[in-house]
This record gives sequence, structure tokens and C-alpha cells, in this order.
Amino acid sequence: MTDIVRILIGPLVWLAAFSAVYALQGVACAHGWSEHEVAGASRLRLALSLAWMIAISLGGSVLAMLHTPRFRASDPFVRQVSLATAWVGLAATFWTLFPVVAMSACR
Amino acid sequence: MNALGRHRRLQAIWASAPGWKGWFSTVNHTDLGRMFLVTSFFFFLIGGVLAMLIRAQLATPHSAFAGPELYSQLFTMHGTIMMFLFAIPAIEGMAIYLLPKLLGTRDLAYPRLTAYGFWCYVFGGAMLLVSMLLGIAPDGGWFMYPPLTGAAYSPGINTDFWLLGITFVEISAISAAVEITVSVLRYRAPGMSLDRMPILAWYLLVTALMILTGFPPLILGSVLLELERAFGLPFFQADLGGDSLLWQHLFWLFGHPEVYIIFLPAAGVISTVLPVMARTTLLGHGWVVAAAVALAFLSFGLWVHHMFATGIPHMGLAFFSAASTLVAVPTAVQVFAWIGTLWKGRPQLLLPMLHILGFFATFVIGGLTGVMVAIVPFDWQAHDTAFITAHLHYVLFGGFVFPILAGLYYWLPHGTGRLRFFRIGEFAFALVFIGFHGTFLAMHWVGLLGQRRRIWTYEADAGWTTINLVSSISSFLLAIGLAMVLLDVILHLRAARRSPRNPWRAGTLEWATMTPPPAYTFASLPQVTSREPLSGDPGLAVRLAQGQGYLGEPRGDQRETLTVETASGAPDYRVVYPGNTRLPIVMAAVTGLFFLAILLKIYWLAPFALAGVAALGLRWAWSLGQHRDIGPVAVGQGAMLPHAAEVDRSPGWWGSLFLLVADAVLFGSLVFGYAFLFTIAPAWPPPAWLPASMVDLLGGTAGALVAMLGIRLATTANRRRGAPLPGLVLAGTGTLVTLASLVHLLLRLPPATTHAYHATLLVLGSYAVIHALIPLLMLGFLGAQHRRGYLSPNRRAGLPIAGLWIDYMATTVVLTLLLVQLPGLVA
Repeated sequence: MTDIVRILIGPLVWLAAFSAVYALQGVACAHGWSEHEVAGASRLRLALSLAWMIAISLGGSVLAMLHTPRFRASDPFVRQVSLATAWVGLAATFWTLFPVVAMSACR
Repeated sequence: MNALGRHRRLQAIWASAPGWKGWFSTVNHTDLGRMFLVTSFFFFLIGGVLAMLIRAQLATPHSAFAGPELYSQLFTMHGTIMMFLFAIPAIEGMAIYLLPKLLGTRDLAYPRLTAYGFWCYVFGGAMLLVSMLLGIAPDGGWFMYPPLTGAAYSPGINTDFWLLGITFVEISAISAAVEITVSVLRYRAPGMSLDRMPILAWYLLVTALMILTGFPPLILGSVLLELERAFGLPFFQADLGGDSLLWQHLFWLFGHPEVYIIFLPAAGVISTVLPVMARTTLLGHGWVVAAAVALAFLSFGLWVHHMFATGIPHMGLAFFSAASTLVAVPTAVQVFAWIGTLWKGRPQLLLPMLHILGFFATFVIGGLTGVMVAIVPFDWQAHDTAFITAHLHYVLFGGFVFPILAGLYYWLPHGTGRLRFFRIGEFAFALVFIGFHGTFLAMHWVGLLGQRRRIWTYEADAGWTTINLVSSISSFLLAIGLAMVLLDVILHLRAARRSPRNPWRAGTLEWATMTPPPAYTFASLPQVTSREPLSGDPGLAVRLAQGQGYLGEPRGDQRETLTVETASGAPDYRVVYPGNTRLPIVMAAVTGLFFLAILLKIYWLAPFALAGVAALGLRWAWSLGQHRDIGPVAVGQGAMLPHAAEVDRSPGWWGSLFLLVADAVLFGSLVFGYAFLFTIAPAWPPPAWLPASMVDLLGGTAGALVAMLGIRLATTANRRRGAPLPGLVLAGTGTLVTLASLVHLLLRLPPATTHAYHATLLVLGSYAVIHALIPLLMLGFLGAQHRRGYLSPNRRAGLPIAGLWIDYMATTVVLTLLLVQLPGLVA
């Protein structure tokens, strides 16, 4: 089952991060975070950007770990598939959460 | 024993009862796969007739063919039947029929569960058909949006038929998903490591995991809406703290993955059939597997693109628009892999290949219009128009029906042992292709001209008349084409020439069985050394028939197979299946009684039906018990393997694990609903928070922890040849304390009809109560097994299963108590 986990972990981290950031946006908008500023930027934008960075770091960490001897799959096929899906997770984290720095948050 | 003697012996052990009575007691995957497929195509026929009625109505303006009430029932039932009663069951049928043969094993993991799922599907589908015959069919559209479907605007029984019938049918989908997942992971031929697994098995594994995680939100949504309709719990009523958008979230959390649940197995068929037609191997096997996994995950991040017009903030729209465009990438990876496979091979334009080409042309257009509607400004223009109807038909017909027809013609010789004699199929394909594109290209056009979907008529001067007429005429061509496919198949069954064993010269193991396949599938199980075992070893089928593989010698009247370790495919343990039984159909009927009781508002009957299901479930499990230790036995090829009852991770443990995955998603969806209402719904906060009770919180948590400790003590004592009973009693006591805390919590709740907050707490608490009752039943069962001598240090498989359910109970109970108490504690 460890090999199945290796294949699923990259996109799973993306799915968790995607859901968490969407939830954070909903909760923060409901609590009026967009109206409070910290260091010239809205508190909401900062929180979402931070969450996005954390998500990218997590996706990158998963990818890096799957390259290490400890977590790398011994089977070449599983290694290929798990690295490909980890890249998918990382790319998806970057692309689908990019709107946190580009779009109006609560309108 | 020679091959013929082995065949007769195995056939006597594995065969279903003869005649039509055998249908009710069969647990054989070949029989049940065929039954699933025939039933699903029967529903396809009905759904098709409904489509023709819809097109007849829209062919001309101001048509007197059907009034608005009937028309609403027609389009609702068309969508419902095609999605829930045709597409998903057809996938299940295909998987049930093919998987054991592809994987080189004798049956699926849980043959009785296969039968139970089938009968739930038949009874649930029958409920919906009866509603149609009585003229009280669901009429709120296949996605049943409240408030239209709430009690105020849909007071009849129509919507209840949908909510209860579909939930009943979904038991079948969840059963099949657990079955497929465990079968692919554990029930394979020895030596079939993950890299040697056939591509279709990968696709079906991904699909099954998607069903386990995609269907629970809809089950929850249906339960909540039925609770609102039947008992007035206001989950979707804005004035009482509910929100109709919650339904849309829950529905599309299911609904969008559903599209890929339908597409991915069809893509698996393409990935299997296309290389054979091109006389080569699949290009980029690993990349295709990665693309399927990626597609499955990304499909769970798209659900809000069905809700772009609901006023969600721009950032939320952009998240889902970005995800919707991204999903085109893994889809394209697969399409390019298929094109590359054609390029490197020597394609033959046989009938399955024609349907694959039909798939390419149609699905790529559907994918491109999908990218169009993923872009928010375009979606706002096209939303709820016939353009969307056309797009979804290009995706679903192109991405599912063409591949399924390719698969039908590819595997028909396997199922019948015959080759086609008449050449009607080619002409039928031409009609289907031309008819489909005539129908739905026109529908794109009329949608862009502004025709709304689901309208029952239109004005003559709207400029849509000619286009609608072209669309309707084409739809009848499509219907004639599909009728000719049916005729072709019937003629094939009646008059065709004998087929050789492997007519396509394919490399996968299903072609190593006799055709039509015998009840036992393989006389002995192969040792797999490559991804396409038949390619380099055409004599394999004969050697297996001669018993030169695993389990080549029948043992008594036992239906035996092997499981393997997930990654390496090394043999793990021996499984002895139960024989033919009517238990699944009886249990499905009693399950149906529960749904019927709710539908007809005979509420007093519902608990009795549930008790009946529980009693039958206990009898089901009891029959698997072993009276004496068996120990490892020889399974051929010099291997000795233990019995499944004498291991820690038995089939029951694996099945429970994946069932709990689905259960956890349901719980997560419920928590999401609570958080959504808490954050977004207009009439919050409620008049008062429920006062926190440390008695409930600490009592429930302590009870759960004691239960966890108790089952561990019982397991350890049993393994060390001690008495497991004290541990079981301790676990039971802990569970009872938890149950008492939960009941106390429920008794403290204000009336659930007064606010969505109270209703949500009631559902959360009831969920926890149910999950405390299940381990309690299991502990009682284990106690009885111990008394009757069914437990021993070797025969220990039941204890880890109960442990799994108790751990799940503890987790959900503690989370529930925290979620329920938290607002009161903070306040």
C-alpha cells in the first residue's frame, strides 16, 4: 500500500491545500478580513498569500521527498508515476491558487 | 486429473443454480456482470425513449405533444436514468464481468456483496420506474435544486422518489467501489505487481476510489433534503438558517467527479482496445496511469464551475476556472498517448476501431467546449442554455457511449464465444455518428442563439424552429442507429460463427479463459511475468486449463482463490468463497423496505427494516466463521498459504477500511455543511448556542478511549492464547458510555425544526450514535463467536475489523462532541 500512497500523495496535498485556501477565503471574507490592513496590504490578501506559499512549499517538499532514497519507490514504474503525480500536485498548487494574488477576494 | 475432468469438477463447485431460479442466488461475477450490463442497457433503452419524447416535443414551436408538467418529468427522468441507472451501473457491470479475468483470479473479493449491490440497483431503479408509470416521476431536473424541490414548491411524492430511489441505488455503487478497490489491490494473479497490472485495472481502481469519495456528498445531500421534506429540518430554508446553495455544493461535489467517474473507465476501454486494434502496445503506459490519477484528483477541484452564476466572489470563481482549464492537460496526455499508439502501430479499421474514432472526434469537441465554459465570462453567457446540454452530451456520449460500444464489440466474442456474422454494426455506427452530431451540433447553435435548457416550448418567431427540427430528426437517426446496434447484438447471440479463444490476438489475461467463460474463470491461476502475459506465451491458456498454475487441484467443494501483496504481487493468503445464496437478494429487499417505509411515510416500519438488515448482516458474517484451525496449505507451485480467517488483514478488514473511507467523506461533508451554514447562511447566529456540557464531552471521549483500549486488550489476549472476553466486555462498556453521552446530547437539543443549527446538531449526533451502535453489534458478534468456539489465536481475523470500526467511532465521536460543544464553550 505504501506504493499506492506514493502515487496519491502529491495530488492529495494539492486537494487539501486547495480546499483549505478556498475555505480560508470564505471564512475570512465572512469575518471582514479584507477591510483590515497590515503593512499596507489587506490582512486577507496576506493570509491567503501565506497559505499559498505554504501550499507550494508542501507540494515541493513532497516532490523532494520522493527523490530521496528513504521515500523513493524501489520499483521504477511506481517511481515514474509517483514523481509525475507529485509534479501534477505542485503545478496544480501554483496554477489553481494563483488567483490569491490577482483577484478581488470578497466581491 | 485431466483438463476435462478438472473442468467438470470445478464447474460443479462454482456453477450457479440452473435455470432462471439461479439468477436469485448466484454470486458468480460472470453472471452478475452480465445481469448488471443487461439491466443497465435496459435502462439505457428507457432513457433513450425519453430523449426521443423530449426531441419530439421540441421539434416544432407550441407543440401539443406534452404539457409542462409531463415535460419536466421527461427531462428529469432522462438525465436521472442515464446518469444513475445506465452509465454508472454499466461501468460496474463491465468491471464485475472483466476484472477477475483481467487480473487472473477466479472472482471478485466479495461475491455476495456483488449480488447485494445488483439487487439494490434493480429495486432502486424499479422504484423510479414505478413513479414514472404512475405519472408521479421526479420533475425537479436531474440535479434537484432546492428551494424548487423543497416541500413548499414540490409538495408531492415525486421528489421523494428521486431522493430515496437514488440513495438506494447508490448503495450499489458504493458496494461495487469497495469490491473493485479491494479486488484490484489484493485479488490478482501471483506475480502481477503494480507495473504488470493491466491498464483497465488501473482505470477501474482510480474510478472506484473516486466513487468512494465522490458519492457520499450526494448521499448526505439527499438525506438532508429528505429530512427537510419529511420532518421539516430546515437545511435549505434561508429564513431558518439554511441555505439552498449548500445543496449545490454537496450535489456538485459529487456531480463533477461523476463526469470523470463515467469517463475514466471508458478511457480505460480505449487504452485497452486501441493498442490491440493497432497491433502494438500502449504508448506511455506509466504516463497514462499518472494522467488518470491526476484527472481523478483535479476533478474534485472543479465543482464550483457549475455554480459560476450564483454570485460567488471573483477569487472563488478564479480558483475553479483555473482548475477547470488545468484538467484539460492530463486529458490531452491520454489523447496524445492514444494518437502515438496509433502512430507506432498498424491500425486495423475493425468495428471497435470505428467507435474509437467516433470517440476521438466527439470527445475532443466536448473537451474544447468544456474549456470554453470553464472561462467565467463565457459561462455567464452560455449558462443554462442548450449550449451546455450539447456540451455535456458531447462529453458523456463521446466520452462514454462510443468507448462502451467499442468495448461491447471487442468483448462480445469473449462473452458469447462467437464472432459476428452479419455486418449491421458498421452501418449502425454511421447512423449513430451522423445522428449524434446532427442532434447536438445543432443544439450548440440554438443555445448560442439563446434557447434556454429545459424549456417545454418556444415561440415560432424566436428563430430556433429549423435548428430544433434538424436536431430532432437527427436524434431519431441516432435512435435508429442504436436500435440497430441492439439488433446486431441479438443476431450475434442467435446466429454467429464459433470464435477462436483469442480472436483479436490480445495480450491480456481475460483471453486466456474459455469463451464463453466457465463459472470458475481459470482452472488454475497463472504466475504473471509481464504486462501482457499472452503476448509472448500463447500456450499459457492451455497450461492453465491443465492445472499447471496455482490452485490447479480442486479441494473438496471449496471455491478457492488467492490474494497477493499489493505492490509486489507475491502470494499472501488463501480465500474460500461462500457458495450460492439468496441472502443478498433478501437483504436488498429488506433494505428496500426501509426506503419504501420512508417514501410512504410508514415511519414505524423503518426501524424494523433496519433491524432486519442488521440481523441479516450478522448472519452474513456468521457464515464465514471457522470451527477449527486450518493452518497453511499447499496451493501449488510449492507455495503454502494460510486461510483468510487466520490473518490480521483479512478481506473483511480491507473492505471495512475502504468503506470507512467513504464514511469519512460523508462525515467530512457533514462538517463542511455545518461550517458552510455557520459562515455563509443568512440567518446565523441562531437564537442561542447549545450550552456546553463537560459531562457529554468528557463522558463520550473517555468511553471512546476505553473502547479502543478494550479491543486492543482483547486482540492481544487472543493472540497470547488468553481469554479475549474481558477486553471485549471493556470495549463494550466504553462504547455504551459513549452511546449514553451521545443520547444525553441529543436529548438536550432544542426542536430541530426551529433552526438549521439545531437540525445540523441533530444529524451530527445521530451520525455518531449510529457509529457507536455498529461497533456494539460487532462486539456482541465477537462475544458470540468466542462462546461458540469460532475464535482462536489463529482464527483472529474478526478482532482487527472490530478494532478498525471502534477507532473510527472514537475519532468521529470526539470530533462530533467538540464541534457540537465548541460554540457553547466559546460563548
